[in-house]
Amino acid sequence: MEVVVPELGDFADVEIIEVLVSEGDEVRLEDPLITLETDKATMEVPSPAAGVVKGLRVAVGDRVSAGQPILLLDGVVVAEDEAPASGAAVHLEPAPEEPPSEEPTVAQRAVAEAPRTPVTQPRTLPPISEAGFSRAHASPSVRKLARELGVDLGQVSGTGKKGRVTADDVKAWVKAILRGSVELPGAGLPKIPEVDFASFGPIDVQPLGRIQRISGPRLQASWLNLPHVTQHDEADITGLEETRQELKAAALERGVRLTPLAFVIRACVLALEEYPRFRSSLTPDGEGLVLKNYCHIGFAADTPNGLVVPVIRDADQMGIHDLAAELGTLSQRARDGKLGPNDMQGGVFTVSSLGGIGGTAFTPIINAPEVAILGVSRSRFQPVYADGAFVPRLMLPLSLSYDHRVIDGAAAVRFTTYLCEALGDVERLLEPPSP
Amino acid sequence: MSTQRDAELLVLGSGPGGYTAAFRAADLGLRVVLVERWPTLGGVCLNVGCIPSKALLHAARVIEEAAEMGARGIDFGPPRIDAARLNAWKNEVVGQLTKGLTGLAGQRQVSVLHGTGRFVSPTQMEVVNGGERSVVTFDQCIIAAGSEPARLANLPDDPRVMDSTGALELDPLPDRLLVIGGGIIGLEMATVYDALGVRVSVVELTKTLIPGCDRDLVRPLQKRIGARYESIMLGTRVTGVEAVGDGLRVSFEGDQAPGEVEVYDRVLVAVGRRANGGQIAAEKAGVNVDDRGIIAVDKQMRTNVPHIFAIGDVVGEPMLAHKATHEGRVAAEVAAGGRSFFDARVIPSVAYTDPEVAWVGLGEDEAKASAVGYEKGVFPWAASGRSLSIGRSEGLTKLLFDKESGQLIGAGIVGTSAGDLIAEAALAIEMGTDAADIGMTVHPHPTLSETLSFAAEAAEGTITDLYMPKR
Repeated sequence: MEVVVPELGDFADVEIIEVLVSEGDEVRLEDPLITLETDKATMEVPSPAAGVVKGLRVAVGDRVSAGQPILLLDGVVVAEDEAPASGAAVHLEPAPEEPPSEEPTVAQRAVAEAPRTPVTQPRTLPPISEAGFSRAHASPSVRKLARELGVDLGQVSGTGKKGRVTADDVKAWVKAILRGSVELPGAGLPKIPEVDFASFGPIDVQPLGRIQRISGPRLQASWLNLPHVTQHDEADITGLEETRQELKAAALERGVRLTPLAFVIRACVLALEEYPRFRSSLTPDGEGLVLKNYCHIGFAADTPNGLVVPVIRDADQMGIHDLAAELGTLSQRARDGKLGPNDMQGGVFTVSSLGGIGGTAFTPIINAPEVAILGVSRSRFQPVYADGAFVPRLMLPLSLSYDHRVIDGAAAVRFTTYLCEALGDVERLLEPPSP
Repeated sequence: MSTQRDAELLVLGSGPGGYTAAFRAADLGLRVVLVERWPTLGGVCLNVGCIPSKALLHAARVIEEAAEMGARGIDFGPPRIDAARLNAWKNEVVGQLTKGLTGLAGQRQVSVLHGTGRFVSPTQMEVVNGGERSVVTFDQCIIAAGSEPARLANLPDDPRVMDSTGALELDPLPDRLLVIGGGIIGLEMATVYDALGVRVSVVELTKTLIPGCDRDLVRPLQKRIGARYESIMLGTRVTGVEAVGDGLRVSFEGDQAPGEVEVYDRVLVAVGRRANGGQIAAEKAGVNVDDRGIIAVDKQMRTNVPHIFAIGDVVGEPMLAHKATHEGRVAAEVAAGGRSFFDARVIPSVAYTDPEVAWVGLGEDEAKASAVGYEKGVFPWAASGRSLSIGRSEGLTKLLFDKESGQLIGAGIVGTSAGDLIAEAALAIEMGTDAADIGMTVHPHPTLSETLSFAAEAAEGTITDLYMPKR
């Protein structure tokens, strides 16, 4: 069957901003086919039937009007109850219940024709709560627009004067929902009550730094979206630290600060080679795993402007001295605020070391869409029972947070155990990387 | 005899709601049939309601203003009133408007069918006009059947016992009139008759005039008419009316009942209005009507039958033309496939008495009763230059702001042109303005509109035209 652009109400010559299917795709009834953008809103055109896409007639950027062909659907099976009321490519709202009728034919016609809504309302829009709608700070014209688009005004936060919801706010909200780029602010989440702090004593209000303003929502997104579990362990780095002290001076002469972090990253690289799932990511639909055949490692760096995560490219191809040198370079650039966007992209795994400051353990937030992060706290000598006696060993606390959708608890413990063994085997850490 | 006509949309009733719905739907491309039981379009509002009563109230105002100037150095002498001529002029005004409506309907190809409409099925209505009966088949329908004056039981069937429609026929003028009902309609007609020299009494069952309106707004009106009218009997009921040769013998009981039977030349019954939902055989279409004649609708004005809408008085209080027109638009747009909803926050009410009383949104008495937190700003018109210069200083402008959000939630005005002034407050509520928004909007001086900004300043504590002790 030929699928055509549905009735668009007052609009004609509307731009296609997305084509969501390609030749040969199998689509189900109501699967979105293309996205149209008018000056009022974006809207998806759903498939009127299930079938296979043949003969795509449109492309992104095309301008179309009602009745124009979009594509051909092959192998269409139209079940009785799935057939659209008019046979056209318009998805009607569920028809209201029919009135008791002595003349059903006319009544049915009236009902079928009544909701001449241009295109289907995106199914992603939540239903309107009338109580919230009626309280929203929005003028009558904005309320009208919201009604036309099916937007629950109570959910839209206003950017106008005194928080007034503007027409642009309504449009932006719909676009964000359609793209899925915005999680509903506050939807389903109870709000934290506002407190008038000034009523308890003098206060100052300072704006958040640029970095915090950017990273805040990302951290929150990770914390809300990823089921975090944190696995703690301790690595015996007595031998590592002795060796590091021996090598330190010589390295410094070459201009390299041989820090404990360099060894930790090297150990992580080895563990990630053994357990590649820890450097994977979920596919956006959550139904697959992207395994990465590269090993860029991010590390959290504390700078005067805030927390940043520079990324060491191809850390698996670096020996300990190269790693230490790269760490030094990137840290300096971070402190100077000279990191470029490329310096902070592409990581597969992140290390956050607070050991230089203190702490015994913490639960780091995963740098999504990565699936694991290693937190490092301060090493200290502890009595370790070995060969019938307690001996002092330098122990390094490790905290591995992982995305439980991707990584099982057993795998996490295997990973930290492997990591501890690697950190206990300094000779291995000093070996040059295998080609 | 029976004829067939087809309509994509049938509108039953051509009052302000009905004709607005019909015209809007026609403009949106629907083939519309408008059914009206009276010979002219316009319904109660144009024919026997708002418009003729306002024409008469204008006449009353002119008489009063002329009389007021007598004490200020311009004496026109007592007016000579030709009730027949006045009546004719009023009818001319009505005729002009209804004729205009017929023209507008014609321009839009809305076919007007005169006769009384009743459903015969969910998609058919019979329209009976004298001996002629036709059946219209429709896809969708908007019921705009309006309301009519409520009747009191046990009143004699006598031409001297009038409802609001009869009261608009002034000729001949009575000497002594009793108005039963101290609501808006009764008091407006009392205003007219009083100005025309009739001795007016008002009897009201409850303890207040204009029930539902804030007491402080009613007080200036009550003070003025209390001094002018023969009597105002609150908390009093009429127990009997007996038609005799020389008049109507009325007996009372209650708080302010006169000791004996009073004789009036006319009695006006203005005890509210009753929705006409019971007169249209709605059950044949499956439309639910309650025992008060009211049809329940959703925010898109749909009845329980999805292709049948109802608007205006027939869907219940407030029974106001300006509510009906907005509802009519919504119903027409939804019928034409639009996504309209009746989302108005507030609907203003006006009593075109002298002085006028107007209010919108939350009333102060209501706010107190429901424990809604509010801040109040009041400006007494005695401090308004314009008010004094038109010789009327009894007015009052009151604004109520939500204690939490600061937004305007209600307003009440009593005084000259209160009905015109209240529109600004309605807009302010719809736009969610606060006291500073209104106070800092520059209002022209000297006007009565200034009283709104002064009241807002009073709420903010920034007013200079009054002295307000520090809070």
